[in-house]
This record gives sequence, structure tokens and C-alpha cells, in this order.
Amino acid sequence: MSDAASAQPSQERATSTRIVETMKKALTQPEAGPLGLLIMALIVFSLLSATYLTAGNFSNLLMFTPELGMIALGMTLLMTAGEFDLSVGSVFGFSAVLMWTFINEAGVALELAFLIAMGVAVFIGLVNGLMVTRLHIPSFLVTLGMLLVVRGAALYLTSGFPQRTWRVEAPLKEIIVGDIMIPTPIGDLRVFMSLFWFILFAVILGYVLMASKWGNWIQAAGGNPLAATARGVRVGRTKVSLFIVTAVLAAWAGITSSIRVSAANPNSGTTYELEVIAMTVIGGTVLGGGKGTIVGTVIGVFLLRVINNGIIQVGVPGLAYRIFIGGIILGMMALHSYMRRQQQAAA
Amino acid sequence: MANELVRMDHVDKFYGRVQALNDVSVTINRNEIVGLLGDNGAGKSTLIKILSGVTPLTKGEIHFNGQRVDINDTNDAIELGIETIYQDSALVNQLSIARNMFLGREPLKGPKILNRMDTRFMNEVAQKLMGEVGITKNIPPNTPIVALSGGERQAVAIARAMYFDSELIILDEPTNNLGVAETQGVLRFVRNARDSGHSCIFIAHNIHHVFQVVNRIVVLRRGEVVADDIDPKVSTIEEVEQVITGDLEFIEGEMVASGANGETAPAG
Repeated sequence: MSDAASAQPSQERATSTRIVETMKKALTQPEAGPLGLLIMALIVFSLLSATYLTAGNFSNLLMFTPELGMIALGMTLLMTAGEFDLSVGSVFGFSAVLMWTFINEAGVALELAFLIAMGVAVFIGLVNGLMVTRLHIPSFLVTLGMLLVVRGAALYLTSGFPQRTWRVEAPLKEIIVGDIMIPTPIGDLRVFMSLFWFILFAVILGYVLMASKWGNWIQAAGGNPLAATARGVRVGRTKVSLFIVTAVLAAWAGITSSIRVSAANPNSGTTYELEVIAMTVIGGTVLGGGKGTIVGTVIGVFLLRVINNGIIQVGVPGLAYRIFIGGIILGMMALHSYMRRQQQAAA
Repeated sequence: MANELVRMDHVDKFYGRVQALNDVSVTINRNEIVGLLGDNGAGKSTLIKILSGVTPLTKGEIHFNGQRVDINDTNDAIELGIETIYQDSALVNQLSIARNMFLGREPLKGPKILNRMDTRFMNEVAQKLMGEVGITKNIPPNTPIVALSGGERQAVAIARAMYFDSELIILDEPTNNLGVAETQGVLRFVRNARDSGHSCIFIAHNIHHVFQVVNRIVVLRRGEVVADDIDPKVSTIEEVEQVITGDLEFIEGEMVASGANGETAPAG
């Protein structure tokens, strides 16, 4: 074969190897597994249920997803820094109850009550963070204690009864969780402002984690806190700030939820912490710290909510939801661990 | 004394009632690699912990560049220009070479509020430094540390110290757990660091490695300096080993059998 004749195919081969390489690289990203599963779930549910691919169903799905999702975003950064927060579900319930109690019992304006609730969330995050970093108590124990304290406070404050939330009209309500109808080929989609906030928070926190100096500190704090400290990284301060971010996002989500459903229930948010941590680890963030991905968390959030919504649509009893979630957590952890070992073996 | 970089003067260190260092005086000159030797518990670690700001001294003085200084924490040491490279190189495994090199001192670009790292600059510098330190293999600067060999990790740590113009680089067991070729690589990085104007304190259990690279050897025994001017070109490895164990004393440039003149206590 002459040189001229062989040049053409070899160039083609080079291009195709490049494509294969790129695909291989994409497939070894931690986000690839959950993304594949998400796409698969969407396809399977669409095929199994006639009502699945409708605007009504997707409106439902997009209603609650951003609320849990916001908390998962904060949790992603916190877990990347090597800590986690079990008190988010309690903060979710308590912040709404606190805000509406101020409004209903003390006649405080909604805007001011919102700020007070956020301030209390900052304080809760600060206490969590200081106890973990200054007293060196594991975050599991600190935030477990805080879970009980905050939930107890919500119950005590309300004597266990939900707070009414429908009497007050304020523009802030619309800003936080107003809704609009978007016409689509599958019908009018009802979308809440909370989806916009979720996307905005995801973009900001994704940027912080990947591109900012703070993100480098977050990853170092979780990856090797001793090395980070030796380089002058303020590990304690970084972690405390992330406890605060997580608590604030949980409070924001709880207030959002209370306005949307027109009730602030002191029990709402119970066990959300577990679902949020599940979403985060399924996305590829490492529980032990050092490595986190906001894109993965967003995928994990949608994966769990799509499955929760889908299995009800296809007629699986809702009570079986946890079996699926547990199975997915175990499966994804096995996949992530397998891929990490493959990568290390390759290097 | 223009050539003097660091001088520790009559330094004592107590951990509770245990005396780890007893009246230690050591000087490190510019462009010099000093080997610090001693058995386990001789005080090597304590000495470098004091210099790198991990633990404060109990009594005594430290002079850096002719000025008396207080080193209270690791940031003080880094600001003075003292960089310590530990056995595990104190790197974050999950982060890339470039991100590790600039950890804690990330260059920013754009509006300050965005807090944005200048990733391109970091990658360019990291690439260049890896070449300078003597890594000829082409390793992309965005490679995570976990994918590097032990020698390459030491190279990253040494390159980092060179870039931030650390005047004194302390290497604590940098050749531990390394293969033969990797060890030679690390020793070459250390020589390159000295030749580009840095001073080094080199600690290694393997005396052969120390002999290959240092200009001068300091020996500690039970918290005291028993020799501070052994020339590796004049003395043999066996002699130095005996000074470490106390079978020989190094007095005024001469190796003397311990207890030969009736003394039982080691000379100070």
C-alpha cells in the first residue's frame, strides 16, 4: 500500500480513537453512572405509564424537587469539606414555624420575620460549626444533637400544631415561590420560582467549588486537613462557613415549602437529612470529603425525585419507595468505588 | 556572618517534664545542605517542628537573616521563608499538582468579589516548575496527586518550596519508601534547589542518602548536639554511625573513641 493511500484511513482512525478517548473519559466521570440511570428511569417510566410524560406530572415533579435540592447543594460543599449535617431536616421545619409564629403571634411583617428566621439559621449553623471545629466533636454527634434540639424547639413553640400561613400577602412570597405557567408541547407546565432559585444556587455553588479559591480550600479541608493547615488554609473557618451555608439553604427551603403548601408544620422535614445525603453521595460526592460535584448532586436530586414520582405513576406502592432508594444508594456506591479503583490502577 | 541564614541559640524544649532538646545551638548557612542525623528520640523531629512553627521552643532564641524572630505557628514560618516537606509531603491527594502548589496562596484574577483562581497561570507555572525541579517526564499540571509516584510527589513539594522562594527547605525523610531511581531523582531535586540559592536541612534514616547530597552533617544524641561540622568528604559512613550511637565522639574535627580519655558522659 502506498503512503498516500494509507494516510486517509489512518487519519480517520486517529479521529475515531479521539472520539473513543473522549467518550471513555466522560464515562469515567463520577456523574456518568447516575446520569445514565436518570435517563434510563425517564425512558422506562414514559414507556410504562401513559400519564407519565404529561405537563401535569412534570409540574408535580418540579414542585418539591428544588426544595430538597437546595439543601443537597449546601450539603455537597459541606461534605466535600469532610463534614455533614443531620440537622437540616429539623431546620427545614423549624425555620418556617418560627417565621410564621412571629407573623401570626407577634404581628411582625413577613420580610422581617423572614430575616429573623434566616438569622436563627445562621446561628444554628454557627453553633454546629464551632462545636465541630473548636471542640473537635464529630459532626455526626453535633448535628444529631442539633437535630433533636431544633425539632424539639419547633414542636414546643407550636405545641405540635401547624401554623397558618395564608393570611398575609407580601411580594416576598411571590419572589420566593410564586408560580408561572409555561406552555410546552405536552401541555402547560406549572413552574415555581423555587426552581429558579435552585438553579441560581447550583450555579453559584458549582462555581465556588470548582473555580474559586474558596473551593480549593473546601476540597483541601476535606482531602487532607493537616496538609491544608500547614499551607495556611483556614480549615476551621472554611468548615464553619459551610455549616452556615447549609443551614441557611435548609431554612430557605423550609420557608419556601411552607408558603407553597400554605402550612408550616413543626414535623415537616423529618428524615430529609437522610434523603439529602443520599442525593449527594449518589451524585458522586465522597462522604469522607475531598471530592465533591454540584453537577452530580443535581443529577442525584433529580434521580431520586424522578424515581419517587415514577414508581407511583407506574403503580408500585409508594411505600416501596425506600426499597428503590436504598438499592440505588448501594448500587451507586459500588459503582463509584469500582471506578475509583479502576482510575487508581490506571495511574 | 553574612553567610548565615538561620541560627538557633541555646534552645531548650520541654514536653511537660521530658526534655527533648537541651541547649541546642545550630547554624544553617546560605546555599548549604545540612544533614541532620540522630537515633529515634534524639530530637531531630522536635528541632524541625520548632523551625517550622508546629511547636514553640521553651527557651532560647532563633535568628533568621540576622534578626531575632518568634515562630509561633506554621504561617510565621512560611512567611519567613521556611518550608517543611514531610514524609507524606503534606499534599492533598484529591487536588491537582497546580492546585496543591498554590494551596493557601492561590493567585486570583478578575473582580475580587468573584474570588476566582487564575487556573491558567497556576497550570503554566506548575508545568514549568516540574521541569525545573528535574521531572523530565511530561506530567500535565492538572493531574491529581493520587496518580503520582512517591518521588513525583516529593518533586511537587520541592517545586512548591522553590517557587515561593523559601530560603530554607526542611526535608523530613524525603526518600522514605522510595525506589532506587526515585531516590536519585529526589536527591537531584534537592541539589537543584541548593544550586538555585536555597538552603536545606535534610533528614533521612538512610545515611547513604545523606552522604550523597549534604555539605555538612549535624548529629543529635538525646536532645544534644554532639557534632555540628562533620564533613562527609572526610569522615566515613561507619564513623558517623558510631557518633550517632555514641561509640565515637567528634571533637574539634577529630573522631575520638568514646571514653578513651576516661570520660563516660558524652561531650556536649
